[in-house]
Amino acid sequence: MTTPIYGLMAEFDSPTALVRAARAAREKGYRKLDAYSPFPIEDLSGALDLHKNKLPLIVLAGGIAGLIAGYLLQYFVTVWYYPINIAGRPLHSWPSYVVIAFETTILFAALSAVLGLLALCGLPMPYHPVFNAPRFALASRNRFFLCIESRDPLFDRAQTGEFLLTLDPKEVSEVAH
Amino acid sequence: MTSASLDFDIGSELRAELRRWRKRALAVGLLGAALCAAGFLRAPFQFFRSYLWSYLFVVGLSAGSLAWLMLQYVTGGAWGVVIRRPCEAAARTLPLVALMFLPIIVGIPNLYQWSHPKIVAADEILQHKHAYLNVPFFLVRAAAYLGGWLLLSWFFNRWSAAEDRDGPGPASRKLAALAGPGLLFWGFSVTFMAIDWVLSLDPKWFSTIFGMMFMAGQALSAMAFLIALMALLSFRRPMSEILTPRHLHDLGKFLLALVMVWAYFSFSQFLIIWSANLPSEIPWYLARMRGGWQYVGLALVFGHFALPFALLLSRDLKRNFKLLAGIAVFVLFMRLVDLYWLVAPGFLRGSFGLSWLDFAAPAGVFGLWLAYFLTQLEKRPLMPLHDPHLREALEHGRE
Amino acid sequence: MADDTQLADPPRDVIAPGYTFGSITDQIAAVVLTKRTPVFWMACFSVGFGLLLLFLWAVAMLLAKGVGIWGIRTPVMWGFAITNFVWWIGIGHAGTLISAILLLLNQRWRNSINRFAEAMTLFAVACAGMFPLLHLGRPWLFYWLFPLPNSMGVMPNFRSPLVWDVFAVSTYATVSLLFWYVGLMPDLATLRDRAGNRIARLVYGVMALGWRGSARHWSVYETASLLLAGLATPLVLSVHTVVSFDFTIAIVPGWHSTFFPPYFVAGAIYSGFAMVLALAIPVRSVYGLQGLITGKHLENAAKVMLATGLIVAYAYILETFTAWYSGDVFEQAAIWHRMTGPYAFSYWALITCNILLPQALWFKRVRTSPVALFISSIFVLVGMWLERYVIIVSSLAQDFMNSSWGIFHATRWDWATYLGTIGMFLFLFFLFIRLLPMISIFEVRTLLPQAKVEKESRP
Repeated sequence: MTTPIYGLMAEFDSPTALVRAARAAREKGYRKLDAYSPFPIEDLSGALDLHKNKLPLIVLAGGIAGLIAGYLLQYFVTVWYYPINIAGRPLHSWPSYVVIAFETTILFAALSAVLGLLALCGLPMPYHPVFNAPRFALASRNRFFLCIESRDPLFDRAQTGEFLLTLDPKEVSEVAH
Repeated sequence: MTSASLDFDIGSELRAELRRWRKRALAVGLLGAALCAAGFLRAPFQFFRSYLWSYLFVVGLSAGSLAWLMLQYVTGGAWGVVIRRPCEAAARTLPLVALMFLPIIVGIPNLYQWSHPKIVAADEILQHKHAYLNVPFFLVRAAAYLGGWLLLSWFFNRWSAAEDRDGPGPASRKLAALAGPGLLFWGFSVTFMAIDWVLSLDPKWFSTIFGMMFMAGQALSAMAFLIALMALLSFRRPMSEILTPRHLHDLGKFLLALVMVWAYFSFSQFLIIWSANLPSEIPWYLARMRGGWQYVGLALVFGHFALPFALLLSRDLKRNFKLLAGIAVFVLFMRLVDLYWLVAPGFLRGSFGLSWLDFAAPAGVFGLWLAYFLTQLEKRPLMPLHDPHLREALEHGRE
Repeated sequence: MADDTQLADPPRDVIAPGYTFGSITDQIAAVVLTKRTPVFWMACFSVGFGLLLLFLWAVAMLLAKGVGIWGIRTPVMWGFAITNFVWWIGIGHAGTLISAILLLLNQRWRNSINRFAEAMTLFAVACAGMFPLLHLGRPWLFYWLFPLPNSMGVMPNFRSPLVWDVFAVSTYATVSLLFWYVGLMPDLATLRDRAGNRIARLVYGVMALGWRGSARHWSVYETASLLLAGLATPLVLSVHTVVSFDFTIAIVPGWHSTFFPPYFVAGAIYSGFAMVLALAIPVRSVYGLQGLITGKHLENAAKVMLATGLIVAYAYILETFTAWYSGDVFEQAAIWHRMTGPYAFSYWALITCNILLPQALWFKRVRTSPVALFISSIFVLVGMWLERYVIIVSSLAQDFMNSSWGIFHATRWDWATYLGTIGMFLFLFFLFIRLLPMISIFEVRTLLPQAKVEKESRP
């Protein structure tokens, strides 16, 4: 009876209902909660009070690293490692180096964006308890879910369940670990 | 907040403020014009050089705004509605711009080598080009560019007024139908304008991207000017109730894109000519990369590209009216530097030079233009009443 | 306040009325998961597979006998290979344009065509990559192009646009793949949750990386999409710019022209949108997706085609004018040879296909007729191929000294390799349609009016 659970999951049938529920749960004082939806909903960030993410900084750092690496590679090769006179152009032909430095900037920045996305989301993740919710497969189709996790200090199976029922969900279910 | 409940007429506070700006602009313009007159008498060569690039700057503001006006009809969408009236007002300054071409006509012998029969007779290539580069044809073409823009401006303003009066109807359809061909005309006219008025200053040099560089330059000048203007308007009724950070954000994106396009065109031309290093092409850059001009070039790389680019990447900055307007004014200044760098070094081969007329001419031309623009801006409500995208525009950023 | 609701939601015709989140999901996922494979698919796939075999045969012959089986002879050493390379890579550009630039511009009509346009990009780049590789003669030594210490002790020449090309194209292929995969992740999760078959569930599940649609993830995901779009936009412009540098940095008459970068980019987008139309029009009618890829999409694509086509026309006009204006005999001769010389037929055919016929797109009746659009897109594809052919072959065949002039004749192996890559493209594309959702499901869901969160009236 007292097997610990991951949390309680409420199912809604519209984004509006989900945003309202998320806002209500925040106002009630719950902090460890997450919403699941089949498409991005901008208002959820406000409702769940999500912080701005660090991805732009990661990408900026990646881009700068790519710029420096690309330029230095060319400088190193043409000026120091393998200097050779081509068509009388200077060894340090900076106008020519702009192109490859630009490409490596983009390459490193894009790789940082994708790796940063995966890192910040904790993906790939082979197992996650929310998939234990019975109708959770619909989160990638047409249903909207709000999960209050058991690690929330205010979490109480009975009370939280009752609270979720007041939000007018389609269904509330327990999510096993 | 419905369209009916909004009054788009210029509020009394704003009117007073615009008049104050007009007075200032007129004062600066008249002072500059007086100095120019003195310069014309004392140093005609220098006067015409300074006047040419200053004039190109205001041509860019007017014709560039005309292009934005047509583009917003072609693409539709909310972003264009808020700048439609300022664009129309800027297009209505074209009669003044056409008038301002007169000093260039007087200055042809001072500016263009190909107008001297003796020089042409001594040079085979110039003889070949004489069929195109001769004074009568030059004037006919200039009349065609300016006349075409005037005509477009006249139609767009007339039909827009008709749309305001009668509501959406045949006028709206005509506006949309003329915009595409109008843009096509703008593209070709600006290209040949750039070839005639600037490229032919060095009659031996040629570059196919030159016209596109001027298109980008005109669009950039006009957008920077419009942003600065929108920021000024945003503090007073009626625009204080209409403009949202999202409108400015959209315009800021265009500014960023054009800063990048300008850099892309300029660098492409430089890289291609630098790499080929051909005697027929490279002298144009050599004149601009020596004797002090290289610092102007570097200033352009940083001020016309790197700095505004880095700043405009920030989303918060594009939504801050004052900061965005600050960048826009700076970009406008860099446009002047760019035109100066394109025009002046050809005359001063080998060494950097700056004359007092290089300050008086832009002040005079831009001051008078701005005063006339503000007069035109005041004449109509600041928002089109019956634009098909008006509702979308009013909703924009308020969801 | 009653007026407020009227103000919202201007009529949009990028999705037919009556769709729900569920029906969108089901309709798009069904193409992959449950629907019977249509005969049309079988036919196209077979054609693609057949031509792919032809390609493999041609490559085998090439490796066995050398590049001499192609028609490339001095002075025309670039021939078909580089023509096809430029053509294919240009076609790829529309995919990135649709997914990245239109995302940045908030053009939501892109949501239903971006996925297969991106796939088209990937496959076009794959086809493009074949040509320089095979053109090397000894493709197994391709790594000499990279700055790696090798047995010859030689480093690549970083002042050469051909080396820039290696970096530009490989970066483009990598970033396009990443962008495409990131876009696919939420839809792969949908397929995982809907697949009946265990193996399908496992494969889609592994590919979805455990995506669960968490709000926290979505917020990072949206940032990542915008950032990738912001990076892909300058990248895509740079790729065809670098391709154009392959020509302009050389001083061959007819190649060394400063406006090649924007002109090539416009031409690339032109042919790319033509390919989007050529693929979307038959596919949407076979799969009954007219409600998702609507007439509005086709019309918008046609408008982009018209605009870029006009830029290309501008380029031809200016090229001719500047050749005359330059006073340079070689530039003048290059253009004159194109118009009247041995390649005059190709030149005038290209003018007809690229400039004259597409002017029909000014008329709304043409833009709203799928059949007319399909025909004009085929003309544009042919025209853009001819453009690259004329630029490359005519300029190389007759350059500075007439003692070294020559004529290029394509051999059957040239044609076999070219048709073979078309087969490879069709093969990959129809495989994609069968195995992955060809329309971005989650992005189309956001087009529905019910996806909008209603505002509570707060004081």
